[in-house]
Order: sequence, then C-alpha cells, then structure tokens
Amino acid sequence: MSETVVHGEAIEWSEEEEEDSDDSEEEYTSPSQPLSSANFDKDRHLVYLQMMYELLPYHYQSQEINRLTLAHFIICGLHFLGATDRVDKDEVANWVLSFQAFPSNRASLKKGEFYGFYGSRSSQFPIDENGDLTHNNSHLASTYCALAILKVTGHDLATIDSESLLLSMKNLQQDDGSFMPIHTGGETDLRFVYCAAAISEMLGDWSGMDKEKAKNYILNCQSYDGGFGLIPGSESHGGGTYCAIASLRLMGFIGVDLLSNDSSSSILDPSLLLNWSLQRQASDGGFQGRTNKQSDTCYAFWIGAVLKLIGGDAFIDKVALRQFLLSCQSKYGGFSKFPGALPDLYHSYYGYTAFSLLEEPELSPLCPELGLPLLTSLGICKGGGGNHQKS
Amino acid sequence: MDSVATVPLSERPEWSDVVPLTQDDGPNPVVPIAYKEDFRETMDYFRAIYNADERSPRALRLTEEALRLNSGNYTVWHFRRLVLEELEHDLYEEMNFIESIAEDNSKNYQLWHHRRWVADKLGPEVAGKELDFTRRVLSLDAKHYHAWSHRQWALQALGGWENELDYCHELLEADVFNNSAWNQRYYVITRSPFLGGLEAMRESEVSYTVKAILANPGNESSWRYLKALYKDGTKSWISDPSVSSVCLKVLSRTDCFHGFALSTLLDLLCDGLRPTNEHRDSVKALAGEEPETNLANLVCTVLCRVDPIRANYWAWRKSKITVAI
Ligand SMILES: [Zn+2]
Repeated sequence: MSETVVHGEAIEWSEEEEEDSDDSEEEYTSPSQPLSSANFDKDRHLVYLQMMYELLPYHYQSQEINRLTLAHFIICGLHFLGATDRVDKDEVANWVLSFQAFPSNRASLKKGEFYGFYGSRSSQFPIDENGDLTHNNSHLASTYCALAILKVTGHDLATIDSESLLLSMKNLQQDDGSFMPIHTGGETDLRFVYCAAAISEMLGDWSGMDKEKAKNYILNCQSYDGGFGLIPGSESHGGGTYCAIASLRLMGFIGVDLLSNDSSSSILDPSLLLNWSLQRQASDGGFQGRTNKQSDTCYAFWIGAVLKLIGGDAFIDKVALRQFLLSCQSKYGGFSKFPGALPDLYHSYYGYTAFSLLEEPELSPLCPELGLPLLTSLGICKGGGGNHQKS
Repeated sequence: MDSVATVPLSERPEWSDVVPLTQDDGPNPVVPIAYKEDFRETMDYFRAIYNADERSPRALRLTEEALRLNSGNYTVWHFRRLVLEELEHDLYEEMNFIESIAEDNSKNYQLWHHRRWVADKLGPEVAGKELDFTRRVLSLDAKHYHAWSHRQWALQALGGWENELDYCHELLEADVFNNSAWNQRYYVITRSPFLGGLEAMRESEVSYTVKAILANPGNESSWRYLKALYKDGTKSWISDPSVSSVCLKVLSRTDCFHGFALSTLLDLLCDGLRPTNEHRDSVKALAGEEPETNLANLVCTVLCRVDPIRANYWAWRKSKITVAI
C-alpha cells in the first residue's frame, strides 16, 4: 500500500489501482508462512488488528484526518472477531467522546454549523476565552464512526448530547435532499445521506433530517441499469447502491419483502436492482463494484449487504465468494483489495463484514444496514433489521 | 516531494516567528499513528497558522506542503480556500496547482471538490479547460469515478456538450467494455440540450448498440444500454424488432457467450413478447433434450447452465414466470 491510498474514509470508496508499491513490506516482519489458506484465519486477523491498535504504521499518516474511521475499522473489527476484551473500553469511549464538538449555547445552533465529531486531533483546537470553538470541523462520516465505536464498546448513547448534534445536522441537508459532510463545504452525495440515516438510527431520533427529501434524492440516483450512482447521473456503483438501499431501509421506506411485493407498487425498480447486484459477482467468485471492473474484497460487503437487505442473498454463489475472499486473506492477517496484494484496514474490515454475511461461525453476526456487528442487547438492529414501518 | 520541503520548517528563516502548535494527543491516545517527522512538523506549523487565521502568501505555500503530505485533509483544503479568497489569488494558477497534486493522487474527493469550487468561480469560460483536464485524467484511467462526476458537473454547469457524444464514441472505440463511457453516453443522449432527448436519439442509438453487441455479445454494458434506450416508455422494447432480432442473431452463433442474449429474451417474454417459431427454435437448439413447453421456462433452464454462478437466481426467475408461452 502506498501513501497515496485514500481508502480510509469509511464511506469513501476510492478505487485505487496504483497502490501496489511494496514499501510497506518492512512494516510487517512475520515468519514465512503459506501464501493462502483454506480457512478464515481468525488468529492471524487478531494479531493484525492488535498490532494496528497499538500503533498504525506511518503509511496511515496520509489518512490522519480520518483517524476515528481507522479506529472504527480496528475496534469494530475486533468486535467481529469476538475480541473487544483486547481493548480498554472506557479508555476508548473517553477518547472518542473527546472528539465531540459542542455549541457554546443553543443560539449558535442556528448559525449553520454542524456539531458532531471531529475526524482527528489535528483539526481540533482548545476552546477560546468566550467558550466558543475556534474551529469546528465536525464531520458526518467521523460522527458515524464515533457512534459506531461507542456502541460496540457498550457506551450508553443516551448519555451523549444528541440534541445539538441532530438539530445542527439539519444544517447539512441540501434542498435536493442530499447532505454535505461538513458545514464548511464539501461534496454532497449518497455517502452522507447514509451517514445521516445511520446516525439517526443509532441515536433513535430522526428529527435531524428530512426523510422524504432524502428519499427523493436517493431515488434520483438510481441508474438505468438498476444500480445506484453516488450522485444523480453517475455510473452505478456498489458503494452508492449500498448507501441508497441501507438508507431506505433505515428510514423505513423498504422492507425485507421488497422482492416479493408487486414491483409496480415499489418506489424503486427492485427486479432490475436484484439483477444488477447479482451480476456483480464475477467469474472469479468475487464482487466487482461496477460493471466490467475487477473483483475487490470490499464489494463482497457493499453488494452482499444490498442483497441481504432486499432478500436476494440466497442467490449469491457463496462457495465461490468465499474462495475469492480467502485468496485476498493476507498471510500477515487482514485482507487486501485484490488477491496477493498487501492488506489494509479498510479491506480488512469489509473482509470481516463479508465473512460475517457468509455466516462464518468464528465471526459475530452482522447488522447489514449499519455495517456493524449485530448488537441486539444494545439496540442495534432490534429484531434483525432496524425500523421497518412504512412512514 | 517538493525540494523546498527538504529543509525543515523550523530551519527556514521565513518561519522563525511562528511557534508550531503541537497536536495534543492526550495521555491515552487510541490507535496512535507513527507519524514521520516531516509530517508532524508540517502539520504543527499548519495548526499554528490555521489557528491564528493567518491568510498570507506563506500560509498558502504551507497548505501546499501539507496537501502534498495528506491530500485528503479537508481542513487544509478549506483553509486554503479562505486564503485564496483573502489574497485574491490567481485562480488559473490554482488550477495548475490542483493538476500538479492530481499527478500524485487524483483519487480523493477533496481535490475534486476544490477543483469544482475554482471552476465554479471562473464560470463558463473554463468549460473547455475542465473538459480537457478530465480528458487527461481519463486517458490514464478511463473509469475514474471522480473525473466522470466532475465532467458531468462541468457539462451541466459550464457547458461544452457539443462534442461529448463523439468523446464517448472515442472511448468506446478504445474499450467497448468501459461501462463508465456507456453511462456517459446515456447521460449525453438524455441531457444534452443539442440532441433532442432519448426519443429523438433512439433509432440511431439502437443501431449503434446492436453493432457493439454483435461485436462482443458477452459485454454486459452494451446490453444494459440497449434496454435503457426504452426507459422513457414512449416506445416499447417488445414491439421494436431490433431488440429481439439481436437476441436471435447472438443465439444463432456458436462462438460466443449466450447469457445476456438469453436474459434479454427472458425479459422480453416476461414483458409480453409473443415468441415466433424462430425464437423457439433458437432456444431449443441450445437446450438439447430439455422437455419444456414454456419458452420462458426453457430460457431459464438454459441460463442455469450457461451462467452457473447465478443458477439459483435463474431457477427462482423460472419459478416466478406467469406468462404461458
Ligand atoms: Zn475496495
């Protein structure tokens, strides 16, 4: 993995193909081991994640701004492996909470800023003499990651100030229903609609977004082939399709019965979506993110979860998919994007979520619409799938 | 790396009056990063300048150094915009700067957001520049998602539609499997103010696509595009003989993949196409001894065989068939 890799942001699907520099080889000194294995190698993944938990190699410095996201991959990844006891939960929760931005008073909520979680320490500054934030760099993706970590470490989200967070999140929603990631400006697309929906779900409060507008934006992103692009008019993409379907599910606009319902009564074209999604499984068994592109570990989750959410996962060739994923399992632990490449945190995390979708016994079950471990006791995915009532 | 960056900031006279503002990672940092010294130093100086809100020429240069180390850092990009505005900096120069950053790594959202901000300020006079820039990026990676999004935005916001269909053709000539180029083609025929929309373009587009399909019957992109040409409902694809005839032509060949032709025929049958003997014969020729009277069922049976990775799906499609043909 080279320094140019920007795969880090949770909801930032960049598709680098030029990442094959081998200068990180030195970082992983491990005794020589067989190249690929026939099974999910839990022990090696634990070693990998724990090593990353203790110290991220310098290659990750270029993703410094997304440090909460990197932490999310590691800590939620450890949870999938049933190993959250390897981290000090209180220490982690306190660290995450230290990234939350607060308004000095309720009046400042109207100034158009968003009060969520910062992505990293480098953009955070001490409060000034008036008790105001000098710079508020709260970001929607970081906020999603922060809440995700708090959830899996067992922190009670009822104790955090969600009112200012949700009230100010409204400031990020645009007239077309999309969301900006940060109030200082940024690209608006389906990723941040998804973040807003997942945040609302985790906090159990939908007052921070206009669901109807968000729905209309999502539907505008469905392409002629049945998949969804990240913005209206753009090419169907596994990540965009995931954000679309998971958001519609979280908002209660579609249920598990999507395929069995009469197509004409549906808000989207479910049969074309199913066909497009299944067609993404390539002859090597892996999933590609777009038509005629190479298979890539992370799309086993992005597309696999879409299929799970629309009730089409039984049609996946699971044996072939498992084989592909195992060919991306690194001898150092973790997963790479393509077979034989070096592992990175992003593809490792989505490798775990993919194996969880495949019901690998060594992994915790998955909540597909949140992209997180299923935590029924904590209110994530109650009854296996968010709020399903039509609203 | 820029040569200037090889001298540490702390040793440059220009920066001697600035006290770097170190990042407070607290007593128990979680997932610490093993920063390299130049990264740590640059970001500490950036923090000092950003916190002091110093919108100066040297601040602009510092953001460049910081962006060369982490071009995905949206805070640095944001501050750079504030400085550019304050200094009324030449935005054409800024475009060159963006292009030089893109040479190292053009796959980040922040760079393209910044590019859009600059192009939006300069307006329609840079329409051609934006099309050239994205063309250069696409010449290295013809499926570059950010470049395509930016190009679509530039067309909508700044104009320059005139040659876009030719450009799509050029890319499809180079690689007919390039789904991004097919997507762009659809974007152009449905949105270009010069082409009259889908209905006006349908006939010529169908014949273009049929040629592409016959040259590569295993190309999913062209089949999807063909179906999309009937999306506006003004002409039904079951009544257009071109669609079923391209299926028949492909099915009659023995040297190619039949999956997409079969799945298109299945869709046509499910949508109400009355099959002819020619349809029946061409499918039966592939089916061998399968004892099936319903043609749609038979198509599914063959699909299970020619597309085994989706065999469960085709079996399910078969179970859902309601047409008795
Ligand atoms: Zn990937």
